[in-house]
Amino acid sequence: MNKLFSIFLLALVFSCAEESDPATDKANFTRIYDNNKFDGSYYPIDAKQTPDGGYLILAGRRLAASNFNGAYLLKTDELGAFVSELELPSSIVAPIGPLLETGGKYYFFSMTPTNNYQTQLSEVDATGALSKTTLVGGSYPSAAFNDNGNFLLLRYDNFSQQSIVSIVNPAGSVSKSIGYTIGAGDGVEEKFITHFLRTGRQFPFQVGKTTGGQYFFNGFYNYTFSLVFTDLTATTPIGVVQGQQADGGFSGILPLDGNRFATARFNFGDNYLIPSVTISPTGISSIVNRKDLEGNNLPELTTNAVVKIVSVSTNGKDMVLYGSNTRSKQIALLAYDKATGKFLGSRYLGFSNPFEIASISSTLDGGLAVCGTTFVAGRFPRICLFKISKEELGKSFK
Amino acid sequence: MRKLYLIVILLSLSLGALAQEKKRNGSFNTAKTNPNQFLQQQWWLGFKAGVNVAQVDPSKRYSILTPTNYSSSVTDKQYDAFKELGLQTTIEITYYYKGFYFSVQPSYISSNFTYSNQLEWVNSTNISETLTQTYKQNQKIEYADLPFLIKYDITGSKLRPFVQVGVFYSILLNAVKTVDVSSLDVASGGTNTINSPPLIVGSKDLFSNYWGVIAGVGVSYQLGNVRLVLDATYRQSLSNIANPQNRFSNDRLSGIGDAQDDLNLKNIMVSAGVLFPMRYLSSSFKSNDR
Repeated sequence: MNKLFSIFLLALVFSCAEESDPATDKANFTRIYDNNKFDGSYYPIDAKQTPDGGYLILAGRRLAASNFNGAYLLKTDELGAFVSELELPSSIVAPIGPLLETGGKYYFFSMTPTNNYQTQLSEVDATGALSKTTLVGGSYPSAAFNDNGNFLLLRYDNFSQQSIVSIVNPAGSVSKSIGYTIGAGDGVEEKFITHFLRTGRQFPFQVGKTTGGQYFFNGFYNYTFSLVFTDLTATTPIGVVQGQQADGGFSGILPLDGNRFATARFNFGDNYLIPSVTISPTGISSIVNRKDLEGNNLPELTTNAVVKIVSVSTNGKDMVLYGSNTRSKQIALLAYDKATGKFLGSRYLGFSNPFEIASISSTLDGGLAVCGTTFVAGRFPRICLFKISKEELGKSFK
Repeated sequence: MRKLYLIVILLSLSLGALAQEKKRNGSFNTAKTNPNQFLQQQWWLGFKAGVNVAQVDPSKRYSILTPTNYSSSVTDKQYDAFKELGLQTTIEITYYYKGFYFSVQPSYISSNFTYSNQLEWVNSTNISETLTQTYKQNQKIEYADLPFLIKYDITGSKLRPFVQVGVFYSILLNAVKTVDVSSLDVASGGTNTINSPPLIVGSKDLFSNYWGVIAGVGVSYQLGNVRLVLDATYRQSLSNIANPQNRFSNDRLSGIGDAQDDLNLKNIMVSAGVLFPMRYLSSSFKSNDR
């Protein structure tokens, strides 16, 4: 009988029952950060993993005393558990992403609620504490980009009615600036204002720099939502890919190598993903006339969908990852091979309650953090954070 | 699946080992000449079925809904104790040797456990305006159970009470979760109770194989050559029945804020059945002659 016992015990040893461990808990999780205030309303803008493995989330929040939204910071630990929150003063409104990380600090642009809606730059540490806010000048910040420690800023100047691109350092000093007309009259300006009030369509403003060092912005130029290339010196752009007034244009641009981009475009509500296309930074072309910008039509995405594009390397594979919102109220992740543009797979996040994307970023462990908005109980806008391990990514994107 | 094969092979080896032991101890020929020695061992084969109730204890709690301005304990699931009935069927293979029974009882066990949680949102400018949402979850889990038990008859009469202890290994077959969401809305101009159709979700990925211990009591009644058996057992898992790898993988459940806690499962099972002896001295010999 000893033999029998030994064999059975051996079976138990080999059984390897599943036990949780911190590594597993960090690798995959879903969190919805809830506030029991009926009238609390939060929409995330960007999430970044901090050196301690936790996450710092920049969000907007409803302000009772302002037409604009206020700013909100939420810090989590590496498991996504709540650590702290900070409702920033109501003097900081209309915050924009991304969180710009340099020198161990995180920065974001916002504007003043009065005084001509002046641009300001806030500095936050990795614990989610606000260090300082500096007045930059100029109005309506629309998009930002971290250019190796200096920040590119796209803003709208309502006096000159120009889209203005500036270089701003972390101290808030502007070293270079150039503006391009959005077109005379109130037609385009109205779209800016409703964008900032969040009562109208949210335009995919973007500013950045190609791998070859070419500056670009995605915004209004000459009555049209266009991709504009600039050297930040000449008063006319060096190249433009025109959209269709406010009804067509790029909804996201990710420079890959040389003049190759991964992009997405919208056209009268429809959405197209273009994982690999060469766009010359010089000359003028139209997005509707270019065959190479036809792309893959995705009817599953919402009208003029928000599209986030990031480059991700996981499991030895370089991918271009698109994140967007579906008509079924899920967050869609679609991956394409970075070199060839070949489709690698998709994954959908969220169900039951609506989910909307805000940001995608790589994590220290080779996984992915997807931040978005969900509507708890179908009605309360709350911040959600999905952490997906590299193993899970490998299963979804082959 | 490899684990299942391993267990089956090892159990086969166990029975093989017993068979070898039997051969060494005697044979039918010797038994015929010595009935006492023959009756020192016996094989029983039988079937049982019954009902069970289950309770789970969270060893580590998880929640998708993460409060920022209220206590995290509000999101803790409230587990019900031994509330819903489940079913089990068992094939019993028992070897009797010198007063002890060594029993392998492969079973199909379907258990149900229930839990709920409740959340409330209050309008800070008018605290009479609230929304209360209640989630009631019924989790059905189905396992193939491989227990090994040692039984001992307390008395040797026709009616034999017995005690039994053992260990088991459970292999996950299926799991289905039913979620009922109801809301009490006192913020839309009146009092409105909202009941949504239940959400029924396959949840096999959320659970895993586990092992544990069993103890129980029972009684057998000799009816002719067969034994009628009624037993009650208490089962306690000694490993986590949840699958940590897939805790957040089910978007249907994640979407409504449900993440599986680490769980230990307890079952109280009552079964009735019949056992048939596999060895006879003669057609007139009764297995309860001794």
